[in-house]
Amino acid sequence: MSVLRFDNVSKQYPGGQAALSEVSFDVGEGEMLFITGHSGAGKSTLLRLVHLAERPSRGAVLFGERNLARVRGRKVALHRRDVGVVFQDHRLLTDRSVFENVSLPLILRGMRRGEIARRVRSALERLGLGARERALPTELSAGEQQRVGIARAIVGEPRLLVADEPTGNLDPTLAAEIMALFESLPGRGTSVLVASHDLPLVKRMKKRVLVLDHGRLVDDIAPEELADE
Amino acid sequence: MSEQPAAAPAAPRSGLGTWGDHHLYSFVSSLGRVFRRPWATALTIGVMAVALALPLGLWLVLDNVSRLSGSVQQSREISVFLQPEIGVPEAQALAATLGGRDDVAAVELRTPEQGLAELRERGGLGEAIDAVGANPLPVLLLVVPAGDEIALAGTLRALPEASLVQHDAEWRQRLDDWLRFGARLMLVLGALLGLGALLVVGNTVRLDIQARREEIGVLQLLGATDGFIRRPFLYLGAWYGLASGALALVVLGLVGLALREPVAELAASYGSGFALQGFSLVHVLAVLAGAGVLGWLGASVVTGHFLRQTRPVDT
Repeated sequence: MSVLRFDNVSKQYPGGQAALSEVSFDVGEGEMLFITGHSGAGKSTLLRLVHLAERPSRGAVLFGERNLARVRGRKVALHRRDVGVVFQDHRLLTDRSVFENVSLPLILRGMRRGEIARRVRSALERLGLGARERALPTELSAGEQQRVGIARAIVGEPRLLVADEPTGNLDPTLAAEIMALFESLPGRGTSVLVASHDLPLVKRMKKRVLVLDHGRLVDDIAPEELADE
Repeated sequence: MSEQPAAAPAAPRSGLGTWGDHHLYSFVSSLGRVFRRPWATALTIGVMAVALALPLGLWLVLDNVSRLSGSVQQSREISVFLQPEIGVPEAQALAATLGGRDDVAAVELRTPEQGLAELRERGGLGEAIDAVGANPLPVLLLVVPAGDEIALAGTLRALPEASLVQHDAEWRQRLDDWLRFGARLMLVLGALLGLGALLVVGNTVRLDIQARREEIGVLQLLGATDGFIRRPFLYLGAWYGLASGALALVVLGLVGLALREPVAELAASYGSGFALQGFSLVHVLAVLAGAGVLGWLGASVVTGHFLRQTRPVDT
């Protein structure tokens, strides 16, 4: 059973060139994989199609049994609650504390305050931010901000986590720590799709890799093939 | 970073509880924004209050003028001064005849003596009347019309016994016309300035949305519904509306206080007990509710437009 399926998906912006051309792939339940390619290859567009920031021009994106072409109106918001998103620039609310930032997805789901506090603290502990819950994002280092962004993405235990260049601004040690955290998520029922152009890091992770070039999926490399390299 | 067991699934929550929590969240966050920017908030409320105070003030003036003219409207009598040679017995006979008509509700007879006594009492003309010697006043019939008073006044003027018929229908008609014109002017001004207030709120909320565009984008990506995003702005609009309605009422109250005494003195010099009246409790509540709804509507229009622009589109 796949969590995510791209079926001949193309995306063309009005007046522009094709951002994606006939891309097809599956993400399995509990699988972690990478999408790589040079800047402008279509990685971000692909992720934007998953959390419905965009809609494809052609083809179908299926999330489990859900055809995203049919997701409209209020259901767009409900779909996004099933997808955790990590951004390179964190996108934290700078006038809210770490705790308040991480609790947002749970507030949106209408959880009780006690349950929210328990889950937020659990996520912050996992990411080594237990002592920073009252801090404002501006008081944190770039690495800490990224970890808050990840805590916010995983606190609701989404079916799929998508991360757009999550280690772009981080030093190699911290990048490795974050990748280790992502690696632990599939064991908890969350599939992980990471877009990165950091090839050495991608190779080190020894996971399945999709290679995009000018919007086309040019390679789908299995983990064992990377191990051979 | 440490490994911990996954959190247990949360117990399902009732829709009403979630709805209540989301409203509380919006209520608190919108109030927070109002108090975080006191000067901007005060300016917005001030402009809106002026826009609301003008039609409300006009309404108040018209209401008082209507009340003042109400007592005039009630006295619809036609005064028929009879010829000097008509005595009281003939006048009584004429009053009885007139009282039998369908278009006459009542007839009251005032003898010259009664008229003289009244003049002495009210007019302070005692010495002048004494100097004249004989009572110069004729018999007066006060006729209360039951139907078309203008036609009745015409009939009374044609009576051979009538010397002078006084009927104030014309100026009352003009006053009515002015009051109708004033009421219409108030409606037009109210609509225009209400629209102005709506635009002020809309523009303020639009600026607020622009300032929080990034935050709204993040909330949308996290799965916030349009309602969740819209709600704090609706509350914000309602706060602006309520506060400006309250300020407009306070300003008009102060204006009323300043004018009350001179108006009462002016009325007293004409022998009237007229006093300026302000808004009743019902009116105050209606103004506050109306202003709140106006603010809510302004915010709703702008947020609705913004949210439509942020939806994923097919290309």
